[in-house]
Amino acid sequence: MSANDTAPYELLGAKNLQVDLGGTTILRDVSLSIGPGERVAIVGPNGAGKTTLMRALSGAVPATSGEIILCSEPIQNLSRETIARSIAVVSSDITLPFATRVDELVALGRIPHGRGPAGPSAHDRERATAAIERVGASHLQRRDVRTLSAGERQLAAVALGLAQETPILALDEPTAHLDLRHRMEIADLLISLAGDETIMKTKRTIVAIFHELDIVRDGFSRVILIANGTIAADGTPAEVLTAERISNAWGIPLERAARL
Amino acid sequence: MGVRRVTLLSLAALVLVAVGAIGFGVANIAPLDVVAIIGKSLLGLPIGGEISAGSTSIVMEIRLPRILAAIAVGAALATSGVAFQSLLRNPLADPYVLGTSSGAALGAAIAFLLPITGIAWELGGVQLAAFVGALASVALVWRIAGIGSGEERIASVLLVGYAVASLLAAALSLVMLASGANLRAIFGFLLGGLDGVTWPRLAAAAVPIALATLLLARRGRALAAFLLGDEGATHLGIDVRRERRIAVALATLATASAVALAGLVGFVGLVVPHLARLAVGSDPRAVFPLSAIGGALLLLLADTVARTIGVPVGVITALIGAPFLLWLLHRARAGYAL
Repeated sequence: MSANDTAPYELLGAKNLQVDLGGTTILRDVSLSIGPGERVAIVGPNGAGKTTLMRALSGAVPATSGEIILCSEPIQNLSRETIARSIAVVSSDITLPFATRVDELVALGRIPHGRGPAGPSAHDRERATAAIERVGASHLQRRDVRTLSAGERQLAAVALGLAQETPILALDEPTAHLDLRHRMEIADLLISLAGDETIMKTKRTIVAIFHELDIVRDGFSRVILIANGTIAADGTPAEVLTAERISNAWGIPLERAARL
Repeated sequence: MGVRRVTLLSLAALVLVAVGAIGFGVANIAPLDVVAIIGKSLLGLPIGGEISAGSTSIVMEIRLPRILAAIAVGAALATSGVAFQSLLRNPLADPYVLGTSSGAALGAAIAFLLPITGIAWELGGVQLAAFVGALASVALVWRIAGIGSGEERIASVLLVGYAVASLLAAALSLVMLASGANLRAIFGFLLGGLDGVTWPRLAAAAVPIALATLLLARRGRALAAFLLGDEGATHLGIDVRRERRIAVALATLATASAVALAGLVGFVGLVVPHLARLAVGSDPRAVFPLSAIGGALLLLLADTVARTIGVPVGVITALIGAPFLLWLLHRARAGYAL
């Protein structure tokens, strides 16, 4: 199931991970391994711990116990900057305090690669432009991010993550608040991004949290179902998204789960 | 126009205005003579045969320190404004948002009342008290709001700052009621002004200002990352708590030094960063240097007007700044993103 069996190198993994926040256990007994070029969807009910898992995998919250491995290193041995050059985490709601053009926003993704007090270099701008082109948002380049529609804003967010030039691109609900067409477009984009480029000798890996099971069935080769703070199932969509599991995880009647 | 071009052009404008402002006053001195006097006095250049000793003394002892003070204070307030607006992600934040101004005012007011005499106290007692008051109020806000502990929320920092400032303002009112003959001096400090700046006072404020501003400029990447909030900045490799602590400390040092030298000059720190953003976009790494220059330029112009018509410079900056702020707010309401 995991590419780790053949590769000598572990891209992203968790072993017996437990995360407590404010005295409450949010995640427990989480073990997983994600290999180069994979497209992994994380699904589960609200409050199950999906976002906390993503934050823990990117070192934004510390593990209470257990271990997280990023690029074959225990994450606590890596500097924040090294982590930011290995995994980009794209939030679904980017809010900005000041008028900011899309190209300015995307250039912020170059911060982990920057040196010194100067703003983005010519190379940084080039990478930002390439990222905007890759998501097909060149026409939005000079627009104020705060005037964009939800779909356009999501494209800008993905471009921000791409500009960070990391082997792993993680997205927290990239299809939230989007209509049917934009949802499909973002999903297709993410699917096309997996494995399309080699960064730090690793094919690009996509990890994304979704609520729409149709998207997951269509394009993701691997699904991790999180329920009650732990992994309820991990495998192909056909293996994981059975009526019974959906019914249990979300607490909905079996006959309705069967229609999803 | 590129960022570098705008920045260099405004720097050139600042130098020209500074030379003009040094020459301008009751005794007018031609710009070339100003350059000659400064060149001769500071660098020992053998220029200018027929410059009077009077002109030299006006330039070197009165106008130059005052103009440099305006530049230092304007730059300090505007760059602190950039720092606080970025850190708090709030377009209405200014250098005084953590209570710096009320703390400084209370410190200065108490200093006016203390029955201390002596040359050292006359030279800088009030300034020192203002500086200490500013640092103390920020320290108080910092402790209560938990800045640096990671527990802070932006709204709570703003509210704590407001509450502490209100408390200090009440204490200030009591001190002013009890101040008798010193009321006018305290009031003068509240309005802000650069009258009677001397070289030693300038140096005492300008050195920490220069240090804090340069160090803050070096944290530009962190300030830029803060545009995306704590979580976003973390994912860009920024140690959010550490960087926030450093930036708040440096911006506070610059603000407290500026306030100690010039009293409460308002609006420069609020308005100039927005003007700079209109010119070069929102990245603090571009906004910061341009704001330093713009703040210096604005305060220099305001102070020149102030000394010509004989009112405190704070009155002039408020007269320019308040309508500008209203205009920005109007645009914000009309859908323009501040």
